[in-house]
Formats: sequence, C-alpha cells, structure tokens
Amino acid sequence: MLRYVLRRLVYTFATLAAVSVVAFLVIQLPPGDFLTSFSAKFAEQGGALDSDALTALKLRYGLDQPWYVQYWLWISGILFRGDFGESFEWNKPVSELMWDRFGMTVLLSGITLIVTWIVALPIGIYSAVRRYSWLDYVVTFLGFLGLAVPSFLLALALMYVFSRYFGMSVSGLFSPAYVNAEWSLAKVGDLAMHLWLPVFVLATHGTAALIRVMRANLIDELYKPYVQTARANGLGEMELLFKYPVRVALNPFISTIGWVLPNLVSGAIVTSVVMSLPTAGPLLLSALLAQDMYLAGSFILMLSALTVIGTLISDLLLAWLDPRVRYA
Amino acid sequence: MGRICQGALGRAALCLFIAWTGTASAADFKEPAALAGLVKDGKLPPVEKRLPEKPLVLKPVEKSGKYGGTWRQALMGGSDSLIERSIGYTRLVRWNPAWSEVVPDVAEKIDINPEGTEYVFHLRKGMRWSDGAPFTADDIMFWYQDVLMNKELTPAVPRWLRSGSDPVIVEKIDDSTVRFRFSGPNGMLLENMATTFGSDILAAAPAHYLKQFHKKYNPDGIDKLVAEAKAANWSALFLNKTSFPGRWRNTGRPVLDPWKLTVPYGGTTQVVLERNPYYFKVDPNGQQLPYIDRVTFDIMGDQQAIVLKAINGELDMQNQRLNGLETRIVLAQNRERSGYRLFKAQPAWSNAMCIALNQTSKNPVLREIFRKKEFRVGLSLAINREELNDLIYAGQSQPYQAAPRPGTALYDEQMATQYTKYDPKAANEMLDKTGFSKRDAQSFRLGPDGKRISFAIDAATSRRYQIDALELVRKYWAAVGVEMQVRAVEESFAFARMLANEQDGLVWIGGGGYDFLGLLDPKWYFPYENQAAFASAWGIYFQNPNDPNAEEPPEHVKKQQALYVQMQKTPGATGQFAVMKQILEITRDQFYVIGTNMEADNYGVVKNNMRNVPEVMPDTFFYMTPGPTNPEQYFYE
Repeated sequence: MLRYVLRRLVYTFATLAAVSVVAFLVIQLPPGDFLTSFSAKFAEQGGALDSDALTALKLRYGLDQPWYVQYWLWISGILFRGDFGESFEWNKPVSELMWDRFGMTVLLSGITLIVTWIVALPIGIYSAVRRYSWLDYVVTFLGFLGLAVPSFLLALALMYVFSRYFGMSVSGLFSPAYVNAEWSLAKVGDLAMHLWLPVFVLATHGTAALIRVMRANLIDELYKPYVQTARANGLGEMELLFKYPVRVALNPFISTIGWVLPNLVSGAIVTSVVMSLPTAGPLLLSALLAQDMYLAGSFILMLSALTVIGTLISDLLLAWLDPRVRYA
Repeated sequence: MGRICQGALGRAALCLFIAWTGTASAADFKEPAALAGLVKDGKLPPVEKRLPEKPLVLKPVEKSGKYGGTWRQALMGGSDSLIERSIGYTRLVRWNPAWSEVVPDVAEKIDINPEGTEYVFHLRKGMRWSDGAPFTADDIMFWYQDVLMNKELTPAVPRWLRSGSDPVIVEKIDDSTVRFRFSGPNGMLLENMATTFGSDILAAAPAHYLKQFHKKYNPDGIDKLVAEAKAANWSALFLNKTSFPGRWRNTGRPVLDPWKLTVPYGGTTQVVLERNPYYFKVDPNGQQLPYIDRVTFDIMGDQQAIVLKAINGELDMQNQRLNGLETRIVLAQNRERSGYRLFKAQPAWSNAMCIALNQTSKNPVLREIFRKKEFRVGLSLAINREELNDLIYAGQSQPYQAAPRPGTALYDEQMATQYTKYDPKAANEMLDKTGFSKRDAQSFRLGPDGKRISFAIDAATSRRYQIDALELVRKYWAAVGVEMQVRAVEESFAFARMLANEQDGLVWIGGGGYDFLGLLDPKWYFPYENQAAFASAWGIYFQNPNDPNAEEPPEHVKKQQALYVQMQKTPGATGQFAVMKQILEITRDQFYVIGTNMEADNYGVVKNNMRNVPEVMPDTFFYMTPGPTNPEQYFYE
C-alpha cells in the first residue's frame, strides 16, 4: 500500500510540472497579450497610449521577455517563495484574489455534492430494484430531462420565473441589503434563501447522471449468482441489498470524488456567470479572456493539482473500499 | 449652462463662465438632512464652511429637489466603466448635458489665449476634498510635477497633453490659479479634458493623501507600504491608487465627486457610496448637492442578469448593459408592473454595422481589389438596406452610411445617403467597371489573379445581430458575383486581429455620428489609428511611422491626416468644425467604409419617482453617459 501511494505521488509531481508548462504556453497562444486588450481599452478611449508608453508597460510587466523566461519568473516565485505573482487586470496579488473566492466556492460545491448524493442514491437504488415500475419511468424521464437541459439555460429560466412572479432578487448569493453586512443569523438566513436556487441548478445535472449510473450498476449486480446464493440462504431482502450489491455498485460514486475538487474551481462556469455567483469560475473565465497570464496560469495549475490530488484520493478510497482494486 | 465668449482683442481671450453664479449668497445655503446630526454634534463643520467661496450653482433639469434615497445601479465584472461615468464625472471642465460645448466644473473660469497655447484655470477658492482637506493649485502641481513628469509613473506623456512631442508645462500663478502652457497650439485640450482623460488629473491630485505612496516624499516608509500591499514596486502601488479601475478599489482616496466610496469595487460585494459632505455644487435655492444620499452598485456576471434586475424594478436609473432590440421590448413591457419609465440613450455613433474592407490587407490581390472605389460602391449598391431594416432591426432603423448624424453641425446629406439605394443592376455595372467582369462557372467574378474573388469578414460573436445581418449581405453580394464568408470570432480576438492588421474585412459599430465623437474619434472618417479597420496599416503610420505594421499612405489620406493635425491646433469648436468639414469631403469622395443602417435608439430605465433625468442623452464613452447630465441633481419625489 505504501509503495502504491509513493509511486502515485511521484507521478503526480511529474504530471503537475508538465501541466504547468503546457498551461503557460496555451495561455500565450492567442495573438497579442494582456497589453493588447489593455491598449484596446485605451484606444477605445481615444488612443492616448502611444508606443513609448506601451514599451514601458511591457517592461513593467516583463512581457518583452521570451515565454520561457516569463515562465521561470512565475514558477520560481511559486516554488521558492509561494508567490503566485500579481494579476494585471485586478492589480492585486493572485493568491489574494483566489482566496477571496475560495470560501463561497467550497461551500457551494460541498452542498451541491451532498445534495446530489442524498437525492441520487436512494432514487437510483429504488429505480434499479423496482425496474420498469411507473415510478422508475417517471424518474428515468426526469433523469434524461436533467441530463439534456443545459444548466445555464435552466438557471436563466428559473431566474426569470422567480424574479418575475415571486419578486425575488435572484442573482448572487445575498440580497442587496445583506451583501456588505457583517455575518449574523439574518445574513445566514438570507444566504440560505439564495443558496437553494444555484444548488438546485448545479445539482440537477450531476443528480441525473448519478441516478442513471447507480441504476445501471445495481441492475448489473442484482442478477449475479452471489445475490441469488445469499437470497437462497435466507438473508432478508433489505439486509442483502445494502450489504452486497449496493456496496459494489457504489464504486462509481467514489470515483466522482476525483471530480469534486477541480469542480470547486471550474465547475459550471457558465452557470456561475449567469447567476453572478461570487465563485472562482467567473474569475478564471475573465482572466483567460483578458490574457491575465499569472492569474489564469495559477488557476489552471491549481485546477490540475486539484484534479490529480482528487484522483489520488479517490483511488486510495477505492483501494480501501474494494479489495479487488488493491490487488489488481 | 455655461458659455464660451471670444474677445475682440488678443489679450481679451476666450473664456468660459457660469451664467448664474452668485444667485445664492452664503446665508442661504441649506444643510442636507443626512448631515444635520453630524453638524449638530460638532463632528462636521456647517455647510457654509464646507462649500467654496463661490459654489457652482446648478440649474436642475426640471425643478429643485429634496434630499434622500439610494440610487441603485449594477456593474458587470471587475472593470466596468459605469462607475467612472455615473458618479465619477468630475473634472476641471465638463460637457454640457446637450453635448454641444465644454463648460466649467471644478475650475470656476478658464482663460484661453487666441493661439490656443495657454490655458489659465481659475480654481474655486476655499474648495475642499471629501476628507475636508483644502483643494488648491498645489494639488494640480503635485499631479504635474510628481505624477505626469515622473518617468516611473508616466513613461510617456499622453498625446492630448502634448504639442508635437513637447509635453505641457503647468505653472502655479497663485493658490487658486494654474496655467497650462504648450509650445504650439493645442486646440482640443478642453474637449479631451471633458472626456475620460480629465478624471486622471483629479484622481492623481490629492497630494496630502498620495504623498505617502510616493517615493520622493516617503523614501523611508515606502518599502514597507509596498510589501504590505504585495505590490511589485512603488510605482505599481501608486498607480493602483490613481488609475482606473484601481482607484475604485480604494476607499481612502479623497475625491471631489458628489459621492465617495464606503465599500470599494472589489469584484464580488456590492459597491457603496455615500454623499460627499464637501461637494462644491448647490441648487438655485442654496441646497447643497447631491440630493441623493447613497449610491449602490451590485456586481453581476452576466448582461441578462442586469436586464432582469431592470425589469424587476431593482435599478433606479441606468442604461448601461440594457442595449439591444430584444431588451428594448422587454423593458417596455414591464414598465407599469415595476414602476419605471424609459429614457432615450441615443447611440452617439451613426451606424449599426460598418463594413470595412481592409485596403491594406496582407493579401496583395485583395488589397488591389479593395482599393478600387467602384468595387466598394458596387457592393454598397447591392445591399438591400430596407430588407435589412425589416428583418434585423424590426423596422426601427433607416439606411445610412458611416456619416455624421442628422441635425449635427457636420451633417452632410449626400455623405449620409450616397449609394444606399438598393439597385442590383447599377451594382453590377459598377462592378464591371472595375475590370473584374469575367465570371467562373458558378457566376462568381474573377479577380486580377484569374481566381474567384473571395474573402472573409470578421464579425464579433458578442453582436449577434451583426452576424445575422452579414449573412444577408453575403447573399446580396453573391447575387452580384462576389463571394464573401462570414467569420464569427470572439470580440477580443477580432480586436487583436485588427490591431495587427490581420483582417481582410471587419464589421463593427461606428461612424462618427455626433460632432464631438467624430472630432475625438475619427477612425471611421480617415485612417487615424490601428482601429481604422478599412486601412489599419495607414492608420498605424499616422500614430507611429516606425511601427513594423505601418505603411506609408497615399496622398489623399496624408492630406486628411495633415488636416486633422491642423484641427487639433485650432481652438474653439467653430474653427474645428470648419477643418473637420474639409476632412469629411475627402471621406465622402473616397467612400472608405460601407455603412448599412443607422443604429436604432436604445433606452435606459428610470424609476417613476426619480426626477431631473433628461429624456434623451447621447450614449458613448466619449460623453461619459450619464455623467454630463449631472446625476447630483437627480432626486426622488
């Protein structure tokens, strides 16, 4: 087990190093750099930024250097000083910007994940056990609907309905009155009032997908000989179901943990933009559009790190849960 | 509002003044209700001590108002210019609401010599920053000596503050008078100062606050401040305090605006501003402005979310991000339910879609084709603009070229309407005149290289209606034997291609429209800069002949560029318009850009009980909508 973990860790670092180079290159691929979009903004205002000023700014941001020098400046800062650099667009340290958004992102993704599991597990089990019952059909229908409707569209439609017919302020996570207020019971209440809508939108897709997966997996298991044997030995239906086939069918749930961490950052960017959620996704998107290199690069690096670590955790969990994985 | 007068004698000079200054005397000034308590407790001096000796007396649009209320607006993303426009429009001089002239603002009076080389700004005696510190000529001198003339902070002096390559010289005459002196004429100084540039002066002026961040004044402590802010160096730290959008992320900065920040523009939380107790304007009854106590901006991620807020009555007055045909219909439908009315935000440019064929394209064959005027005229005649109007603009628009708007000083009917009549026969005849009359098997014309004339036009995906319109244009042009492909690209990508002169063709909103827009941003009238998409390389040449992408333009372009330089040296709008007309005559004859339809009017929302908001205002960054309409005199009934 220890060797397994060590080997995985070595791979992890190699992957991260490669990803950081590729990410940096990809961000630099589109024509122009941050100054192109910056001077575009200036030019819009009358073209006062002449080439002398641009050269000076290029020097200030180090954009006149070849990409590998810029890369080294950035990565050495992270490795040796834990400094992710400064965001050109926001004129703030990258780390500060990322931490700003982290709390709400974790909260929202965490709740979404829990809701997804709570809803998807029982429904998936039910519709596998009572296959082709009318409730199974209903759930299957809703499941496909949830998979098919893009979440940003669902978000837009729900926002319209709730603001038009219920007069709710539906954007963001707080009412305007509470956005800047100190934390208090009332503010938590306000958050709860606003949280369910994004959670519903974000969870729909995942729930629908997990119901399908759970149902399919469990159906595979239900008709295997060991289930029949257990039943022939007189084990109660419920005890049997939860002790054996459900446990085996749970594997894909554990695998999804690998996706949860990167989803914290990039999950449902479009939905977050539409709903004006103060999470990390919209920040990443705007950084990429503005070619704000250090911010975008750090985000992508974080994302890759989270994906790799998430995968590692889920592999370890799987190994712990299912001996077959360990010995394979 | 104000008035410009020109004396007969050389030394009498041009001057700007306010017509009704002095109608209110010190005894009449009235304390805003929200501040009465603070004054009573002795935490704030009484109103007559806070106002300058001669406050600016502002005539309200409809009537004098009463105090109170919160003005709710919404921003999109992290660097929205609305905050700068709606509550940051304070400068030495400003536009009048009708956008027909420049009037005094922070400066009480401006004397200009007839050559346009010297501008004397008379500041208001006794004026104060929002923190109570005095605002004097020394503040302007700090901006000049320690910001503008500091190479680390300003590597290159902006063009509007230069004459040729010589930067402005600013001199202090006395505590409330400064003189801007140029080595040659700079006729456009005041116009430029009334645009977004003007705010850069006052933002970098509060010396008593900014000195701590300046290396010269705080050589020992600056390193600690830089480290605390995790800034790259002291100049980055300083510029974060003074330049847009950084200056809105800082509540410490003293301002002269009607409101001051209490919660900064950080990107996620709501931005909040409260009244500036030292604001220098009063209404004719002596009530200190602004009427509205508080301003908030919610930060949204998406335009539709802002529209939703508007139709739900959660925006009190705003037009930014509410553009577009579909939006207009939704806004109109929800007026009664949500208790708002609409005001007209007239696009200051004239054309909803200018088609620019790049005469300096990197493809030599296309370059040869696009440079033939008959080719451009033929393509223009082939467009069915009435059909475009019906299908794309819901009949709200009209056929129009990239020309000044009707009713402006520069309006030229021929220029606005030439070649707009749909006539495929004349179009074919005109195209035959180019010599490209041979056709291939699919009836497409062959170019000078014997191959089919075929090119792509970039269209920004953010303006979907342009892509739809361009698809129709593709059909019209195919009918006269010219093949065009619509290339939908992301907006900033399209922009980057244009800056590098990589586009063969591009569609964009544009055309000078309002007089001052054409003067300040003439890129659709002649190759003025790299954004003149119909001849980027010539425009780049005008800004910087040594740029690797620059190309020497032909004579007619050079003449226009020379005339524009001449106009920049001409003081006074009358003289400037006269020169501009000469430029436009060449534009009309050259027919660089194919215009399609006039941009239809957009609308903004304003709550029924909010008064003193004009019913029509120009909408452009150069006017800084809605700043010049004096938001400080908006009020709730």
